[in-house]
Amino acid sequence: MRPESEIPFFFGPDDSLFGMYHEPAFAASCAVLMCPPLGQDLIRCHRLYRQLAQALAAQGVGVLRFDYYGTGDAAGSSAEVDWDRCMVDATIASRELRARARVDRVIAFGARLGASVALAVAERAKFAEVIAWDPVLDGRDHVAALDAMQDALRADSGRFIRPRSDADVAEQWQGFSVGDSFRQQLSALRTEPAGVPTVIVDSLPAADGSRWEGFVTARDVVSPLGQPTPWDDLRRLETAILSKPLIQAVTGRLKETA
Amino acid sequence: MREEAHRFGRGRHLVGIAGLTGDARCEMGVIVLNAGLVHRIGPFRLHVELTRQLNTAGYPTLRFDMSTLGDSGAVGGGLTRAQQVCADLDDAMALLKARAGCERFVLVGLCSGAQNAHVVATNDARVTGAVFLDGYAYRTLGYKLRHYLPRLADPGRWSRLLRRRTNGEKGEKAASEPVFAVPAAPREEVIANFTAMVDRGMKLYLVYSGGISNYFNHSRQFRECFGKVMSHPAVTTRYTAETDHTYILSGDRARLLDGIGGWLVSNFPPATAGRSS
Repeated sequence: MRPESEIPFFFGPDDSLFGMYHEPAFAASCAVLMCPPLGQDLIRCHRLYRQLAQALAAQGVGVLRFDYYGTGDAAGSSAEVDWDRCMVDATIASRELRARARVDRVIAFGARLGASVALAVAERAKFAEVIAWDPVLDGRDHVAALDAMQDALRADSGRFIRPRSDADVAEQWQGFSVGDSFRQQLSALRTEPAGVPTVIVDSLPAADGSRWEGFVTARDVVSPLGQPTPWDDLRRLETAILSKPLIQAVTGRLKETA
Repeated sequence: MREEAHRFGRGRHLVGIAGLTGDARCEMGVIVLNAGLVHRIGPFRLHVELTRQLNTAGYPTLRFDMSTLGDSGAVGGGLTRAQQVCADLDDAMALLKARAGCERFVLVGLCSGAQNAHVVATNDARVTGAVFLDGYAYRTLGYKLRHYLPRLADPGRWSRLLRRRTNGEKGEKAASEPVFAVPAAPREEVIANFTAMVDRGMKLYLVYSGGISNYFNHSRQFRECFGKVMSHPAVTTRYTAETDHTYILSGDRARLLDGIGGWLVSNFPPATAGRSS
């Protein structure tokens, strides 16, 4: 990998979005937009996203990683994160990727809420396919899980000498300020099928098998990853999410379809 | 303020975000090092919030990924880790000099970042200030007394211990390690380094949190660890028992950032930090 083949830059309205473009090792026939998750999942997945982007670039796929407004290196504060803006940003990023990679065929990849964003904008952004890793389908359940983790965090004796007050932990989810509007948007989120071919990469804890029923159609694929990913484990909140099987699953899919 | 994304360094292997302050060229810039393995945005975006607040206050900044961390790659050359850290910071200082005219630098590091900042501050005369967050510390006699005496005097603890013994249970689980543990350099070496830093005019700000209570538990421990150099006017210390190691709560982060900003203004006023182009 040549260092110059990974290009950091700002783009979008007022250069408010941050991107990292991975040039393909040879002429690309398609490109992948990597929609990041939100909150602490974004930090935990950073290395894995980079590893996946490098693996895809090595097999001739142009890749764009980016940060939504209010996240990562993008402009804005954490409290300004807005669901509708995330979807707009993903669409802008898809245009940026098409221009840089000089291809029309773009596949989106996302983890957790990043997958939900990719699914939500799939038709608008003209994605050829969405690869969704453990997408959040029910925002209400997700908000409840984040609230429960935040409540547990308040009295986490592994982190604080003494329990913190309710006020200390209010209006935040695991390290990030949360605006009222975003909380409401996320609570109302019901992720719909994308309207384009979709691959669900499933590493959620074992369920009854009906988790994706009604969401996937005959043209879609559900690909179990095996080992569950510890997304909501407070003890591993600052541990990176790494997954070789995930990289193999996504690069393998691209080899099949590119 | 304006932010620029850069790929830089002798091997073009480093990635960072320079934060610039309008048209003024500033003599002093602030460089923020990685905290553990977290990429340049810092734990819970701490480094983004810090650099932007300092940009607004008039200080150019660079938050970047050191070799092999975040988006930065490796560069060959057979350097030791310490040599690589110094080379990376040399590249970072060159970038901030090119983009903002900076000649002098304040380094900010949390945990392993503090350790790396310490290495560079010891060896590079361009570093005129350093903020060490949960940097080097040692379990002193005072630490042990403060840690163990209350436990010895706690009848509840004794009864729990006896109950466990009676039931054949194993001992209390060891206190959890900090998220990013800093392997300690020899204490005398660290004291000598601090002394040399202030002797050459450096200003130091040590901020330690309750998140490292398994080896640091009181503001007095700065002096217990490092001796009289901690009383030097160039050294400011702060112990915040209630906070965690990575400042997960927004209020704690805001207080930390205000503290760093206030310390900078006191020691490197923007009037001297900046100079007209």
